[in-house]
Amino acid sequence: MSRKRARPEKAGAPDRPWAEPFGLSPADLRAALALALSSGGDFAEIFLERRTYDFVNMEDDIIKESAESVGLGMGIRVLAGDRTGFAYTNDLGFDKVRQAARSAAAIASGRAPAAIARSLRERRLSRTAYRAGAPADRAGLTRKIGLVRQAYETALRFDRRIVKVKASFQDSLQQICVANSEGLLVRDTRPMVKLVCAAISEKGGRRESGYWGGGGRVGLEYFRDDLTPKRIGEEAAREALILLEASDAPAGEMPIVLSPGHSGVLIHEAVGHLVEADFNRKKTSVFWNKTGRKVGSDLVTIYDDPAIPGFRGSYDVDDEGTTPRKTLLIEKGVVRGFLQDRLSAKLMKRPLTGHGRRQDFSHPPLPRMANTYIAAGGEDPEDILRSVKKGFYVASLSGGQVEDSGHFTFSVSLGYLIEDGRLTSPIRQATLIGSNIEILKRIDRVGSDLTFGLQTGTCSKEGQDVPVTDGCPTLRVSKMTVGGRS
Amino acid sequence: MSHGRARPVPALATLAESLVAYARKCGADEVEVSVSDGHEFNVDVRRGRIERLVEAGSRVCGLRIIKDKRTAFASSSDLDPSTLRRLVRNAVRRAGLGNPDPFAGLAPLSKKAVDPAALGLYDPDVVSLDSKSKIAMALECERLALRDKRITNSHGAGMVTHVARSVLAQSNGFVGEYEQTYCGLGVGLQAGGTDDRVEDSWSSSKRLLRDLESPGTVARKAVERTVRQLRPRKVRTQNVPVIFEPAETAWLMGFLFSCVSGTAVYQKSTFLAGQRGHRIGSGLVTVVDDGRLPRGLGTRPFDSDGVPSRTTTVVEGGVLKSFLCNVYSARKLRLRSTGNADGAGVGPNNFYLLPGASSPGDIVRSTRKGLILTRTLGHGLNPVTGDISRGAFGLWVEDGEVAYPVSGITISGHLGRVLEGIEMVGDDLEFLGAVAGPTVKVAEMTVAGL
Repeated sequence: MSRKRARPEKAGAPDRPWAEPFGLSPADLRAALALALSSGGDFAEIFLERRTYDFVNMEDDIIKESAESVGLGMGIRVLAGDRTGFAYTNDLGFDKVRQAARSAAAIASGRAPAAIARSLRERRLSRTAYRAGAPADRAGLTRKIGLVRQAYETALRFDRRIVKVKASFQDSLQQICVANSEGLLVRDTRPMVKLVCAAISEKGGRRESGYWGGGGRVGLEYFRDDLTPKRIGEEAAREALILLEASDAPAGEMPIVLSPGHSGVLIHEAVGHLVEADFNRKKTSVFWNKTGRKVGSDLVTIYDDPAIPGFRGSYDVDDEGTTPRKTLLIEKGVVRGFLQDRLSAKLMKRPLTGHGRRQDFSHPPLPRMANTYIAAGGEDPEDILRSVKKGFYVASLSGGQVEDSGHFTFSVSLGYLIEDGRLTSPIRQATLIGSNIEILKRIDRVGSDLTFGLQTGTCSKEGQDVPVTDGCPTLRVSKMTVGGRS
Repeated sequence: MSHGRARPVPALATLAESLVAYARKCGADEVEVSVSDGHEFNVDVRRGRIERLVEAGSRVCGLRIIKDKRTAFASSSDLDPSTLRRLVRNAVRRAGLGNPDPFAGLAPLSKKAVDPAALGLYDPDVVSLDSKSKIAMALECERLALRDKRITNSHGAGMVTHVARSVLAQSNGFVGEYEQTYCGLGVGLQAGGTDDRVEDSWSSSKRLLRDLESPGTVARKAVERTVRQLRPRKVRTQNVPVIFEPAETAWLMGFLFSCVSGTAVYQKSTFLAGQRGHRIGSGLVTVVDDGRLPRGLGTRPFDSDGVPSRTTTVVEGGVLKSFLCNVYSARKLRLRSTGNADGAGVGPNNFYLLPGASSPGDIVRSTRKGLILTRTLGHGLNPVTGDISRGAFGLWVEDGEVAYPVSGITISGHLGRVLEGIEMVGDDLEFLGAVAGPTVKVAEMTVAGL
């Protein structure tokens, strides 16, 4: 291979104000990329991040604590075939940046160096998935305290049986810059807010808890126009109170009806993770050999769309600088696509989908979900409920987990028994377990009421947490194992 | 004052102490500054090749400021002095917007100190081990595992080392510093075809390199754990005895920890609030939190409040003796800190169920029909109620012998009744992490299946 060896440019004076807040100019970045590729490799990339974060919480009737944090750093990686060299630093002095570039380069030693773009050209983003009318980072703490106090007091005063309440508000502003050896240079500034409330109820020595919250890539106007602190407090209290009257879950296999919104966790676990490209490239996912094959019922169509305005899982550009697109994963039960990052897309020779995400600068990107949902069907949700003589209704969920073999669980925090097509006794905590292909085949009714779950969700994979949103309409699963007691 | 072993990095302690002084000057009544400086090496290999190599160093600084009994926190990975001083000034100002909290405040300066050098936290062999050797260990581990023909795919093997120095400085005069190392080796495997696949993994995590299991041992355990699940069945829904393997007892203990945490107790978010002095388990249940266990993964000379580490008996012969507290929750509950401060909350040190007299083999042989729980999936633990409901994998026992593997089931119960139902405790306590326990047999739980 005769490729011209890249000549590192001299790190000149940073051309402010471009360099804010990182203090590195495009020429500095190009020089570091050239150094990263100096011992070979196909591709090098720098991810710069500065994140500010504010937090305030209330418990025992006082505004108890506030916190502020600043995260600043750079991650740099070199790809050589299917190998990744990665290093990071939170000192952006140019000597430390160069040292990180050399560490990342170690993966590729001994190979011919790759070409690097002559200069980095910034790509401007034309659209936005962020809706910060009243940006939280510019609002004073007093206003945020007001939101927390309102949620807290609403929950506490909702009923005498509410004995403890916690409420908290957090907001962050993440500034990123991605530069790579193909000449890409892109910056993004992502807002995020979250207001949550947890309530504890007590009656006759028995205690239960309720939780509610919301937010997303929005400003403080969201808590006036979309979801008020009062509603958050009420819903948290209501859940805690209903659970005081709840019975133990039944145990064994039975028909399940999933409420719209919350139950998107099922799709996240049962399908979303297993169509992440890395697990399919490595053939560890049950889906790796099933593209174009039917794995579920005709009623099941699933998308991931990172561009839904204001959603927690949304972004204008992924953490590798790719503009994301709405990605069809399952169409009428047939596997159509995977969620791609650069590494997997290249190795699988598939187009990028814009799902390369990372927790922060200290982690390399992975294919991840953003906003995953099952498309609406044609049935009246009431009819779906009426169709079940005896079964279990999932009202709210607290999380789930899946492994590559397809076994997955999700935890129900509040459910109801279905008797003769109606909801009867409330049911407390239970875990449901299934294997994904079995469950996809058993989804036999899909409602017309697509809804998205609480804008508070976080997904973990390989030790990295990223914000996500899930959605689904009312669904019926003909049979699933409920982990209750007998 | 307690100081770590040699190789001083004066910059860290100096930085911490200068920020304490600066915050006092800005009007803070009490100040606490923590600084840590870490170095991470991480290699993932898969199918005989390096997949990912990570090497990096990073520092982080945390602040707690109390003014007029109002608390504000801040943290930063940007250690630029101007950024840190701005965070201090913001925190002092922000503290004024909160409400006074009579329970806020630093711990009184303790006269006792634990010598970090006696704890076995630091191993120069971890620091000096070169990248090539670490890569070779990961490759060797996976190669040995893949030699078994029943293994059909690999999630890869990984070798990790961490070295970190931590400093804590407080306005009451406390300055503590220690260095610690960590090393880990693990591999994840699959067996069976694409549509009848089973998977599991094994890893060893230690402070000292010589304590780390060899690549061969890690590979052998991962293979055994994976292939024993091949051709699983799903059982009928029934109530049976459940035998927890040590890794499963570990999460049960983790759940118990979250129910005895002082924070959960004063927030009434645990079913054990108000149960101190009461029987909560069978006489075989004795649980200890030990912050000074030599070479333990949860060992440290002092906690994040600067309180010296100690040993606390949490449950003795089935009776709940102590809640585990940081300074704040202890004041709320009129108790004393047990040295369990972890950041702004409460965390376990080395928290474990003491071993008993039974061999794991005898425990299985004592069981006419039941489940050996080998793995769980999902969260399903609610400290407020004590409810347990998790996805499960295991081995079905009939007439004292393993009959076949099971999957697609759940186990459920209530922590209180599970602890009361512990009727045998194994002699095989193993610290796979900071929270641990031996094999235990629980008289009855619900297994939901068909």
